[in-house]
Amino acid sequence: MKGFLRRFKVCFILLGVLVVFWCLLVGLHGMTGRLKNGSRQNTECTTGERVFDKADVLTDKEEEKLRKLIAKRERQTGCDIVLVTLNESLKEYAYDRQEYVAYDKFVMIYADDFYDGHKFGYDKPQGNGVLLLDNLYREDDGWAYSWLCTTGKAEGKYTGSMIDHLLEKSYRWSKVSPYYGYRAYVNQFYHDMNGFGLFSINISVPLLVLISFLLAVVIVGINGGSKAGVKTTDARTYVKNGRAKINHTEDRFIRKAVTQHKIQTNSGGGSRGGGGSHHVSRSGVSHGGGGHRH
Amino acid sequence: MIYKCKNCGGNAVYHPDKKKMYCPHCDGIDTEEEVKSSRITECANCGAPLEVSRYTSACKCEHCGSYMVLEERVEGEKRPHLILPFQISKEKAVKLLKQEFQNRFYTPATFLSAATLEGMEGIYVPFFLYDYLAELDYAGTGTKVRSWRRGNTEYVETSWFRVERNLEIDFDRIPVDASINMEDAMMDLLEPFDRKALEDFQTKYMSGFQGEMFSEGLMDLEPRAQEKARRDSEELLRETISGYTTIHADRKHLNLRRQTAAYALLPVWVYYYSYHGKRYTYFVNGQSGKVLGKTPVSKGKMFAYGGGLWMLLFAMLMFGKMILEVL
Repeated sequence: MKGFLRRFKVCFILLGVLVVFWCLLVGLHGMTGRLKNGSRQNTECTTGERVFDKADVLTDKEEEKLRKLIAKRERQTGCDIVLVTLNESLKEYAYDRQEYVAYDKFVMIYADDFYDGHKFGYDKPQGNGVLLLDNLYREDDGWAYSWLCTTGKAEGKYTGSMIDHLLEKSYRWSKVSPYYGYRAYVNQFYHDMNGFGLFSINISVPLLVLISFLLAVVIVGINGGSKAGVKTTDARTYVKNGRAKINHTEDRFIRKAVTQHKIQTNSGGGSRGGGGSHHVSRSGVSHGGGGHRH
Repeated sequence: MIYKCKNCGGNAVYHPDKKKMYCPHCDGIDTEEEVKSSRITECANCGAPLEVSRYTSACKCEHCGSYMVLEERVEGEKRPHLILPFQISKEKAVKLLKQEFQNRFYTPATFLSAATLEGMEGIYVPFFLYDYLAELDYAGTGTKVRSWRRGNTEYVETSWFRVERNLEIDFDRIPVDASINMEDAMMDLLEPFDRKALEDFQTKYMSGFQGEMFSEGLMDLEPRAQEKARRDSEELLRETISGYTTIHADRKHLNLRRQTAAYALLPVWVYYYSYHGKRYTYFVNGQSGKVLGKTPVSKGKMFAYGGGLWMLLFAMLMFGKMILEVL
């Protein structure tokens, strides 16, 4: 054990630094969040509820835990955080309100209406906040859609890749259980809002397990297999005076040839990544957002 | 034959640090005298039977601990021309061995323990040293290629050259071990030995060490020496040819003429270690201190290290991920 500690001293120090740094960051986030956001200003919101589990995928206990977590994160972020689960087709709902709607935008219309209709917003009605709509129902095209509706400062903060990351993370955790998925949504929103938004990484825990395992195998392999020794002689070791006597040396030019060919140039295309989409809802409120399907 | 101290009658041995004959019993320096033994299989000091193999030329009496030189095997045709006396003492060899291996992972706890290191022995290993005059005659074709662009056209110019070299190389004392007990590859790896430190053979240098006489003949081993000379010659030739994009040999002829050959004893410290029924051998060059050998692996230690390391790396990556997520 002593040998292990000594050998990997640097790794332990680095781990300690990471732990301390993480604790400081988390503490700083909590503090700055509370100081910055103050108390909720919006008095016109039609409901105090934040968890609308219409698909009934959460237990009462899980709902309660989510409510508590959301209340804390709302104070830290200065945003209303809403969760809606559904298990119904939104096709008719969307077509009643808009003539031409793509399948993936049904959820967007519903989410916008839900947010605006309840007058959510931490600072004012239809103000700062976020809503995750998770519809479990598979529409005619065979996909189930979810949507993250961002408003106010959340809309300003979120880029397309940040939305993708949040939805992907929430979806990944929901495979373990829906509760974990929604908890990941609330926590990630908190990190995104309070962080600098420098990184939007998407590395799963099993991948980290695999990477650390492979690294450990490589390190063990490198240190386990040892060579008997290395050669320490060279071509001059047994040569008197360390060099050969050169009796004759000649480098005689014989001929030369020149070939030529045209250089082909290609004008290639490129790929383009998308940013966060911004739109104005039927109520005239600006929302950002992005969707996910599975 | 045994070297006895004139002062106290103890066994005088050659001391690598003092570079003199030394009596460990009375600290006498150069106080030795030769005492002939009547029979090769008997200790000249206590008369106990000696375990002598076919090629042993010096050994230690297991009974009284005295070092014996078997005269018959270092005389006449079997007499070495040269010897390189030990320059590294046992204490220093142990230190070098520890320095080399103490930081290796997964070695068993008993590896390099004082008890096992006690059995380390200095052995004079028989070598033949070959001198060659080599003449290497080479002719080949080399090309140099350069390219450039003008507009949307690329031009490639290839120039051909006739390359000729004639080298004369004086090889001095290329060593080849003449012991069937020593693995050739390990003995080659143990090189180089400093040829300038070679001395005319004297039996007294063998006192205090084990020794072997050659068990393979000069002519039988010559192909190994020639192969070393050929390899080095070609390397030296390559060093004289540079600047070409490609080179193709049209003619290459190496003429090796053996000038002389000598029979020499070179110093090697040997340490044996047994682990799970397998015997591991370690060598320390008795002149340069170069260390060779593969370390045994304790599987228990390896899995414990691997598991611990896995957890440690995972924790680091997890915290790294968590920090990036917060940022």
